[in-house]
This record gives sequence, C-alpha cells and structure tokens, in this order.
Amino acid sequence: MLAKWKLREVIVLSVLAVVFAVVYLLFLQLGTVLFGLFGLIGYDMIFGIWFIVSIIAAYIIRKPGAAFLSETVAATVEVMLGNAVGPQLIISGMIQGLGAEAVFAATKWKNYSTWVLMAAGMGSSVFSFAWGFYVSGFAALSPGYVTAMFFVRLVSGALLAGLLGKYLSEGLAKTGALSSFPLGKEHKRNVTV
Amino acid sequence: MSLHEVNPSIKAFAVVISILILSLFFDPITPLLTIIWAVSITFIFGRISFKKWILLFAPFLFIAIIYVWSTMLFPRLHAGDSVIWKWGFLTLTAEGFQRGVSLGLRVLSFATLSIMFTLTTKPTDFLLSLMQQCKLPPKLAYGIMAGYRFLPLIKEEFQTLQNAHRVRGVARARTIPEKVKQIKRYVIPLLAGAIRKAERTALAMESKGFTGDKNRIFYREITVSRIDWLFFTLMIGAVLLSTFISWKLGYLQFYNGEL
Repeated sequence: MLAKWKLREVIVLSVLAVVFAVVYLLFLQLGTVLFGLFGLIGYDMIFGIWFIVSIIAAYIIRKPGAAFLSETVAATVEVMLGNAVGPQLIISGMIQGLGAEAVFAATKWKNYSTWVLMAAGMGSSVFSFAWGFYVSGFAALSPGYVTAMFFVRLVSGALLAGLLGKYLSEGLAKTGALSSFPLGKEHKRNVTV
Repeated sequence: MSLHEVNPSIKAFAVVISILILSLFFDPITPLLTIIWAVSITFIFGRISFKKWILLFAPFLFIAIIYVWSTMLFPRLHAGDSVIWKWGFLTLTAEGFQRGVSLGLRVLSFATLSIMFTLTTKPTDFLLSLMQQCKLPPKLAYGIMAGYRFLPLIKEEFQTLQNAHRVRGVARARTIPEKVKQIKRYVIPLLAGAIRKAERTALAMESKGFTGDKNRIFYREITVSRIDWLFFTLMIGAVLLSTFISWKLGYLQFYNGEL
C-alpha cells in the first residue's frame, strides 16, 4: 500500500497521527465526563472526534490508504503514550479507519467534497459501532437505547469528523504549509483565480 | 521470567485475543476469574508499584459502574425475566442486573489485561517489534518514531505561542465561543509547524540514504523466544480455563447474535 507513497507523505501522515493521538487522549477524558453525566450515550456524542485524523489525512494527501493508515497510526501512538485502553485500541483504530476508507474507495479516491467527507465520518461511525456492539456487549441493552446511541454517533461522525476535519484542513491550507500537497495546490489555484 | 522481557508484539496479541474471547460471553464469572489472573500475573511477574497500577485502574472502576447502571436502566427484556422492581418506564430484572454486572466486570477485565501490557512495555520496543515481527513497513515505523520525537518540540512551541499571545495582550478566553476561537488560534499554527517539520525531516532522512527498503538490518533486534510463546499459551489458556470453570458452575452465557 505504501509503495506508491513518497517518504514526505508518509512522514506528514505519521506526524498528523501523532498530534491527533494526543488530542484523542485528551478527548477520552472529556468523553469520560460526558459518560458519567449521560451514561453510555455520552461517548457517542463526541465519538466523531476520534475519526478526525482519517478525514484530515485523506483530504490533504488524497491517496488510497490515507484514512486507514492515519487512524491506525494514531491508535498505535495512543498505545505508545501509555494509555490504559491497551493494544486492542489498534484494532479499533483500524476498524474506524476502514470505515472512512470504504467511503473514499467508493468514490475511487477522486471526490473530496464536503458530502463525501461527512459520509466518510459516518462510515467510521458505522464500522466502529459494529465493533463496539461486539466488544462492549451492546446486545445486553434495550434495542431502543442502542438505536439512539447509533444515530447520535452517526451525527457525531458527520459533524465532528467530517465537517470539523474539513474546516481544520482548510485552515491549514491557508497558512501555506500544504503547498506541496493536493489540498494546498487546490487552495492556491482557487486563490489566484 | 519478567513481563518486561516478553516480546511486545506477542504480548499485545495475547491481550487482544484474550479480549476477543472474553467478548463472546455474558456472564460474571469468566471476567472475574480473568481479572484475578491478570492482576496476579502483573504483580508477580511485572514488579509494578501498586500506586502506578491503581492510578491507571481507578478510572475504569468509574466506567464499570456507569456500564452497570446503563445496562440496568435500559436492559434488553426477554420473555420470562423475573421483574424485581418497576417504576414508570424503568424495569429492573434479575437477569438484567446480572448482565449489567457482567458488562461492568468485562470492562475491568479488559482494563487489567491492558494495564499489564502498558506498564511492562517500552514504546520504542513495541514499535521496533511491530516492524521486525509484524511487517510494519519501515517507512511508516520510522515516520512514527520521528513524529513521536516531535511531541516535546510541539509542547515547547505551544508554550511559545501561549507566551506570544500573552505579550500581545490576548485576553484569556472565558465564554465557550471564545474558548473555541482560542483552540483554533493554537491548533492551526501548531499543525502547520508540525507539517513543515515533517517535510524537513523526510528530506533529511532521504539525503542520508533512507529508502524505506524492507530488506534492512537493525541496530536493535527484537527477538522471539520459547518463553514468549509459553507466555502467549498461558494467557489464552487462562481465559479459556475461566470460561470452563464458569461453564462448570452453570453461569456461562454466550452471545447468541441478538441485534
């Protein structure tokens, strides 16, 4: 998968993943507070933030595998930073990354419009929910409650991952730091035209 | 034998597979026995200070309690469940209570296994092992290591930004919209700086002859020995033994595809 990648792209992807691994760990604490206030559904409200690096990396680099790899690396770094969720987090990261990657794959990695980015966030929501259903034993909960959790997570994925990811990436493009990446080039074209 | 010396990838797989097995069951005994096993292993073979351990474990106690009440308040009702208490839309059944406790114990069993891994594994060893045993491409592995080394630099940059804002008289954010703006003021420059640094690092790596070729030798080799496989077998064996004991006691309950 990485054979067609330039080293520059791989390192930028890794660095994005490292930065967001720290962000993810901070949000884990916020998540626990919401969890305490609202129960299981508390996590779902901000679940989208945990998919954001997929959206940002795919939107900036625009290569097959960007969404999957960035999320997987972010999860690996979270484990390296010594968070107590442990190595199964890497599996969760892979599954979330696959959810977003599936949506980008459906457009043959060509379309990065707002709708596709939001759909990619929702893709991660769907995949991660299926995984959570098994690992966290949602089957013991009432179907109505589980359905509510699912829809909250879907919205969260679309907004906190899709829209917020797009917004942050465009803010980055404005600084000129992305001038050698597709998003930066696109931004430059739009400004000069 | 010390847990610190077990191959990190094998240790990680042992934890992940144990968790996958534990997720199959909805009974309190299996996770409870696993917790006892994981905690004993951690303290006997890990030489971990109790203070460190409890600091990581305590948040999970809280999470487990929330799991129990979420499952108790919103249980999946089955025909024939014995109702203990009913008030409005809330129904507490004996079976619901047992499933709630099982899920809470499941959270704790995951936590004890994970903490065993976290407290006995060095981050760089884990990455080296992923590259040498699990075929993680060197391009990505060294990329992650480079990124990992950026963290202290990014922290420094964050403090510089903070000071710069203060010198220029940016007021402290109080309301929520102000705080959102403040986060943006930090996040974009920090990310831009990180991306620029990443591009320079890639250039430096290439100019020093790094090709990312998979046929390479390593300065530090992480090996797999028989003890590693013994550890793996023991860990999986213990989880299977827990389920067996639970089955003998008549508690075992499978996940039977309910949606």
